[in-house]
Amino acid sequence: MSVVPIRREAPAKVALERWEARRRWARAGIVYVVMLLFSLLFLGPLLFAALSSLKNDPLEYPPRIAIPQLSPANWAAAARLGRAGAHAPLWGGFGPGADVPFELTYFVPDGTEPAPPAVTVPRRRPGGELAAAQNIEYAADHAAVVPPTEIGRRAGTRSVRGKAVPGVFVSYRLRVRYRGDGPTVDRLPIDVQAPSRRQAFVGSTLPPTRLERLGLVASYDNIAPGVLGYVFTNYRRVFQQARSVTTGRSLFLSWTASSFVIAIAKVLSTLLFASMAGYALARLRFPGRNLIFVLVLFAQMIPVQVIFISNYLVLKGGIFGLSRLWGQATLLNSLSGVVLSGLVGAGAVFIMKQFFETIPREIEEAAMIDGTNQWQRYWRVVLPMARPALGALTILTFQGAWNDFFWPLVVLTTPEDIKTLPIGLLTFRNVYGATGDWGLILSGAVMSALPIIVLFVVFQRYFLEGVSYGGTKE
Amino acid sequence: MGVRRREFAAAYLFLAPFLLTLGIFFLFATARAVYFSFTNYDLFNAPTWVGLRNYDELFRDDMFLTALRNSLVFAAVVTTVQTFGALVMASVLNQRIRGLGFFRAAFYMPSVTSSVVITLIFLWMYQRRGLFNYLTTQFLANLPLLAVFLLAVVALQAGQVLYERARRLPARWTDPALLVVSLLLAAGITWGLVFSGIVSPRDVRPVEFVWLQTRQEVPAVFPGFLRAPVPLVAIMLQNVFTTIPTFMLMFLAALQDVPAAHYEAAALDGATPVQQFFYITIPAVQPVTFLVVTLGLIGTLQMFDQVAIFGNAVPLKSVITLAYFIYNRMFPGAQLPEVGFASAAAMFLAALTLVIVLLQRLFIRSEGTR
Repeated sequence: MSVVPIRREAPAKVALERWEARRRWARAGIVYVVMLLFSLLFLGPLLFAALSSLKNDPLEYPPRIAIPQLSPANWAAAARLGRAGAHAPLWGGFGPGADVPFELTYFVPDGTEPAPPAVTVPRRRPGGELAAAQNIEYAADHAAVVPPTEIGRRAGTRSVRGKAVPGVFVSYRLRVRYRGDGPTVDRLPIDVQAPSRRQAFVGSTLPPTRLERLGLVASYDNIAPGVLGYVFTNYRRVFQQARSVTTGRSLFLSWTASSFVIAIAKVLSTLLFASMAGYALARLRFPGRNLIFVLVLFAQMIPVQVIFISNYLVLKGGIFGLSRLWGQATLLNSLSGVVLSGLVGAGAVFIMKQFFETIPREIEEAAMIDGTNQWQRYWRVVLPMARPALGALTILTFQGAWNDFFWPLVVLTTPEDIKTLPIGLLTFRNVYGATGDWGLILSGAVMSALPIIVLFVVFQRYFLEGVSYGGTKE
Repeated sequence: MGVRRREFAAAYLFLAPFLLTLGIFFLFATARAVYFSFTNYDLFNAPTWVGLRNYDELFRDDMFLTALRNSLVFAAVVTTVQTFGALVMASVLNQRIRGLGFFRAAFYMPSVTSSVVITLIFLWMYQRRGLFNYLTTQFLANLPLLAVFLLAVVALQAGQVLYERARRLPARWTDPALLVVSLLLAAGITWGLVFSGIVSPRDVRPVEFVWLQTRQEVPAVFPGFLRAPVPLVAIMLQNVFTTIPTFMLMFLAALQDVPAAHYEAAALDGATPVQQFFYITIPAVQPVTFLVVTLGLIGTLQMFDQVAIFGNAVPLKSVITLAYFIYNRMFPGAQLPEVGFASAAAMFLAALTLVIVLLQRLFIRSEGTR
């Protein structure tokens, strides 16, 4: 800047050095802040979805971060109520001998006489067509409500549309008892209706699930939830509400099992067969080797949309009738179909071949002198050295199989039980998305992502190595 | 000869499981798809040869043309944005600092989870009263605060730089030490103004932009064939969000091999960070760029999952891609499957992918050798 007049002497060397040091520190600080912002950007949707999956209504507007499910006071109340309902402070319930106390507070402006609210135990069916097959016990059939009695009042003011209105806060306590003997019911819902709109709902032992009819009715899905039952309501519903029409088993559990079976089987077959094929391509000299290698590259380039048509027909016919040998007429809608059609991928063979080429031949030659055969050299000598590559391959294959959507969608259609988690979540989205029940969809999504996230946190190194293997493809 | 034959037999025994899988589920499948594409097969009646009729009909099918346009727009936009975004992020993150591992893991998280989970979460955030519209509302409401803050930052920074230069210290306009001071002071000033009531957030109506159930196309100023339907843009955003971290990690690995001396030398010669980005970073990572663009094109041209999951939340016509078109003709629900027609479309998709990848290869090569 020539405009700035130069009046002072040049700064001392020490000053310049201090200036540089300050600059370095500031740069590091800014880098960390930028990194944190990026992390927030990329983790934000996942974290916010996980948080919102705890809410009664994940579509609430404006979306809050401080939610009642995260308040320790509510945890304590939920545990107390769960113990009162079924001696179950964790998961709650409503069983014989239950005597559940519940308190509500209303505000009544001066000039109106407060009156106790009316309490009913509704017979609400859990929503969604996936719950249709269930034989449900209702709390309403076993509950006896002890009508609310006033337990205290104090004068105060409450701001209504910006104005401070004088009046009284009045609290009521009601009790719900279990009549006689019977089964323990999961949930104890109640509806509490204020005598008039002038008597405004202020608070209760646990916050209401929703306020209906312009605040006149405070509706609770469960007043004896237990602490886990309160915080993880939607998660429990994922397991309990979505049930198979035929077997009555929890669909989400079946899907999880399917996903694990397919992923583990694919990992095992891929590890074995890809390392065998990779070993042959890297080490052995035989006619047709170059052709096979070209086919490996070719197979990696074919879009799945080209091959799925024929593969669907092949599985439909039980791989040319082969599956009749073990009594399956068709491999459609069967987990073995998904596994058999994906025993080993060309990409996996390619990775193993690249890796085996980095192992020095001398090691095998030494073993050859000892008189071992080909299989022993592969199994005892080379394979144990391939642990890093096998680790990366395990992760890549598991991740691919766990997250695979297209092929299971084609093969596994009926019954619902047979599906894997990704296509099961599509069922959730179609059934519950229509009614706007996002709590269930989000909880299912979060849970289906958990295994892969745990795997990632534990074996991060292999995941990032997998990225670099992707880099060697070219 | 005996040894040779033994090695031959051993090789094919080792390869047997792989070759069986490859033979049945790749080679046979591809060959059969080629054959089907020349027939009118429908799963129930025996296929009869129809020559090129399926291919001819492809280009008369409205839905196919829509799918083709959507796929091309999607691939072009997403590949460009994600490649550039990943490269910029990688060069910002190319720092040798403690705790880089944690940040790398955090960035990689969206790529680890399945497309289904991420798409469901985004679908939820795209709801009429979802997070995206809420954040937009908040942004609009707080615009005055943001403006005050930015003005304060610029003014403070300018003042400080001029002062330091008057002291003959070599201050650049973006000097980090001064910037930290400016940012903190500006935040304080903004807070003070809000606290004293001089500046306050505006009252705005909640934004209720329709992301999903809409036929709107953006940007409106473009000619029709260059516009993208809003739901497709929603999928683009989601896709970029998921893929940027993976590609960024690839770029980062390449960048860490670039000697820091190059940047130092350039800085001594007076190159700005932007110049350094264009003249050092981009040439240095050219092979990785090629890989990222190739993977990006293949992935985006074959996009399917998002369309299936968005499903009836959006008009099919605005998001249908070639991959979904093929699936839809193969399993059309109540109607008869059009296996031959679907196969022809699949052949077209494979050829299109190949041609585009080869084209970009020529393009990037010539760029690199310029």
